[in-house]
Amino acid sequence: MTKAKLQQLQQVLGAPVVTGTMSLADWERIGGKKDAEIGDYVETEDGVRLITWTEANELQYIQTEAKLTPLEKELLRWALRQQSGKPGGGTDLERQARRLGEWIEQRILSGQTHAEVPDWLEIRGKLFDGMIPFLLQNDQAGDREPAYSELEKVLRSFLSDEMLLVPLQEREWLILGPDRLLLEVDSADSELVDHEETKEALFSLATGLHEMFTEQWGGECHVAVGEPIIPTESLVRAVSELRETIHLGRKFHVGMQVHMPWAVHLERLLNDIPEAARSRFMEEMMARLDLFNDPETVSTLDAFFTMDCNVSETAKKLYIHRNTLLYRLDKLKQEAGLDVRSFNDAVLVRIMLLLYKVTKRK
Amino acid sequence: MAGVRLEHVYKKYPGSDKASVTDFHLDIKDKEFLVLVGPSGCGKSTTLRMIAGLEEISEGKLYIGDRVVNDVAPKDRDIAMVFQSYALYPHMNVYQNMAFGLKLRKFRKDEIDRRVREAARTLEIEHLLDRKPKALSGGQRQRVALGRAIVREPQVFLMDEPLSNLDAKLRTQMRANISKLMKRLETTCIYVTHDQTEAMTMGDRIVVMKDGVIQQAATPEVLYNHPINLFVAGFIGAPAMNFIPGQLTEENGAVHFRATGINVEIPEGRAKVLRSKSYVGREVILGFRPEDIHEEPVFIEASPKSVVNANIEVCENLGPEMYLYLTGLGKDNVIARVDGRSTLKEGQNVKLAIDMNKIHIFDKDTELNVFEIE
Repeated sequence: MTKAKLQQLQQVLGAPVVTGTMSLADWERIGGKKDAEIGDYVETEDGVRLITWTEANELQYIQTEAKLTPLEKELLRWALRQQSGKPGGGTDLERQARRLGEWIEQRILSGQTHAEVPDWLEIRGKLFDGMIPFLLQNDQAGDREPAYSELEKVLRSFLSDEMLLVPLQEREWLILGPDRLLLEVDSADSELVDHEETKEALFSLATGLHEMFTEQWGGECHVAVGEPIIPTESLVRAVSELRETIHLGRKFHVGMQVHMPWAVHLERLLNDIPEAARSRFMEEMMARLDLFNDPETVSTLDAFFTMDCNVSETAKKLYIHRNTLLYRLDKLKQEAGLDVRSFNDAVLVRIMLLLYKVTKRK
Repeated sequence: MAGVRLEHVYKKYPGSDKASVTDFHLDIKDKEFLVLVGPSGCGKSTTLRMIAGLEEISEGKLYIGDRVVNDVAPKDRDIAMVFQSYALYPHMNVYQNMAFGLKLRKFRKDEIDRRVREAARTLEIEHLLDRKPKALSGGQRQRVALGRAIVREPQVFLMDEPLSNLDAKLRTQMRANISKLMKRLETTCIYVTHDQTEAMTMGDRIVVMKDGVIQQAATPEVLYNHPINLFVAGFIGAPAMNFIPGQLTEENGAVHFRATGINVEIPEGRAKVLRSKSYVGREVILGFRPEDIHEEPVFIEASPKSVVNANIEVCENLGPEMYLYLTGLGKDNVIARVDGRSTLKEGQNVKLAIDMNKIHIFDKDTELNVFEIE
C-alpha cells in the first residue's frame, strides 16, 4: 500500500495506520484463519490487523488502533479484496514488481539493508547479475502519477526489453537496466575496462534518462544512478544509497537533477555533522561568506573544483582566458585571505561553499 | 502551428511572499520568434517552464492556439523543448535519438524515416546519423538536440539558453543557424536567454524582464532606439548606454541639460515635450548611446550646442571600432564608440559632440523615459 493511500486511510479512520509483515504461522498464532486471504482480519491488543496481501509463508498487513464496528471491518475487507482483484492492479509483472517494491520498503524501514531478495518473490527470476540501478523521483506537482504500464512501456523502449520497473514510494521508481547498456554508450563498441569511463557512461545514461523523462513525459524528475549490482544480493542497499544520494544532491546541489553516489562523499560527511558544529564553522567563516553572493565567484569556484583545481582546464571550461581566471583567484585571495590553489585553503573553501549553499536557502 | 497567449499570468512559490512572475500578459503570434531576456532571476525561465507545463501557473490563463492548457500535461501540449543541457540518449545513435519521440508516439516507420532524414538534411547532420553521441562535437550534439525537437513538428518550440554550453565562436554560428531554421520551419518559437546580443540578433520581438515583470515587449529596433525605462536602456546595447544624472534648465529661451563638465542644449522639438511635462528645473538622467557621441570635426562643427570636453582614460581598439573611456562628464565613465582608425590616444583631452536628436531623458524617480511615455 502506498504512503498516500495509507494517509488517506488514516484520515478516513481518524487513527494511525501502520503496515507490517509476518509469517502465516504467526498469523495463526494470533488467531487468524489458516488459509489466510486478503481482507481477513483479527483483533489484537493494539487494534485491528487486516491482510493486504499474502505470498507463500508470509503476509503483509495494515493495523489500526481505530475502534471499528463489524460493518466497518467488513467494508474494509471488501475494499482490500477489490483492490487486489481489480484490473488496475495491472499485469502479473506489475503485481510482482509492486510486491518487490513493498518488500524493499519494509527492509529499508527495518534497517535490513543487507537483506537478499527471497525466493518466494516471483520476480526474483527476472533479476540477473549485472543490472544498473536507477532511482527516479518525479516531482511534477498537480499531475497524476504515471501509470505503471505506460511508464514501463516507455522505459522498455528507451533502455531495453530486459529492463525492470519497480514502484517504490509514491512517484518513485527503481529502474533496473542491463549493464550491456554501458557498452552501447561507447561509440567504439569496445569493452569498458576503465572504471572512470564506466562512471562517465553511467552518468550519461542517467542524464539521457532524465532528459527522456522530462522531454517525452514532460515532468520534472531527479535521477540517481549506481554502479551495476547483483540485484538478488544488494537491491535494498542500492535503493537506500540512491535515495540518500538524491536527498544529498537536492540539498547541496540545487539545480542539479542527476546524482551519483560517488559524487556526494563530502556532502554525506557534511550532512552527518551535527547542526551545532556546522553553524559554528559557518559563524567562524562568516566574514568571508559574502564573497559567495557574487554568482561569478561561485561559478568560478564550482568549475575550479570540478576540474580538480586545474587552472588551464577551468579556464577552458569557463571559456575565459587563463589570466582572467588567475585574476579572479588572486582577487579571492586578496579579499578572503584564502588561496584555492593551495590544498588546505581549497578544502576550506570547498566546504564553505557547500555549507553556504545549504544555509543560504534556510 | 499556433500562437501562444498568456493572460495575466502569475507564479508564486509556496512560502514566498513575492511572486516570481507578476501579471505576465502577452500575445505571441503564430510563427513569431519571441525572445525572453533579462538578468538571472528575472523570471524568464520560470515563464518558459509554465508554458512548457513544468511549473504550475498560480493565476491567469495560458492558451496554445485556442486551447487553454493550464491543466494539460506537458506531453500533451504539442510543444518541443530544447534546454541548455541538451543531453542526448548516449546508448542510441543520432538517427535513434531523433526517431525516439516519434516511435513513442507510434508514428509509422516510413514517416519517422522521412522526418528524421529531412531534419538531418536541414541541420546538415546527415553524415552523422549512425554515430553515437560520444563521437560528436559540442556543436554537432547541439544540432542533434535541435533535430530531436524538429522531427516532432510541434506547434511551439521552447528553448531555454540552448547555446550557453557552446564556446563563443560556435555560439555565433549556431545563433544564425537557429534563426534560419526557425524562419524555414515557420513555427512559433519562444527563446530564453540572458545574452542581449542573442536577443537582438534572433528575435522578431523581445520581452525584457526584471524582477518577474515585463519591462518592455517590442522589436529589437524599438527596444534599442525607444527604451521605455532606464533598465531597458541599460540592458540592451553593448557597451551599455551612458547615463549622466543632472538638471534641466531654461537658458536664453532654450532647454539645457547641465551636469559636471556638461552643458548642452536640447533641440526645440524635444524641449517642447520636456516643457509640456514640466521637467524643466528638475533633476533627470540623460542617456545616450556610445555611438551617439562623436569626435569627427564635421559633426562637431555642425553641433556647436552639444560640444563637450573630456579626458580619454582608456582606449580599447577592437579593429573596426574603438571604445574611448572618458572622464570629466558627470561622475562615471562615459564610453564613446569611434572609428577604429581614429588617432586618439589615452591621456588626451578631446572635444566631442553629442547627437542631441538621439538622446533620452529619464525621470529620476520613476526611471521612465520621458520621451516614450504618454
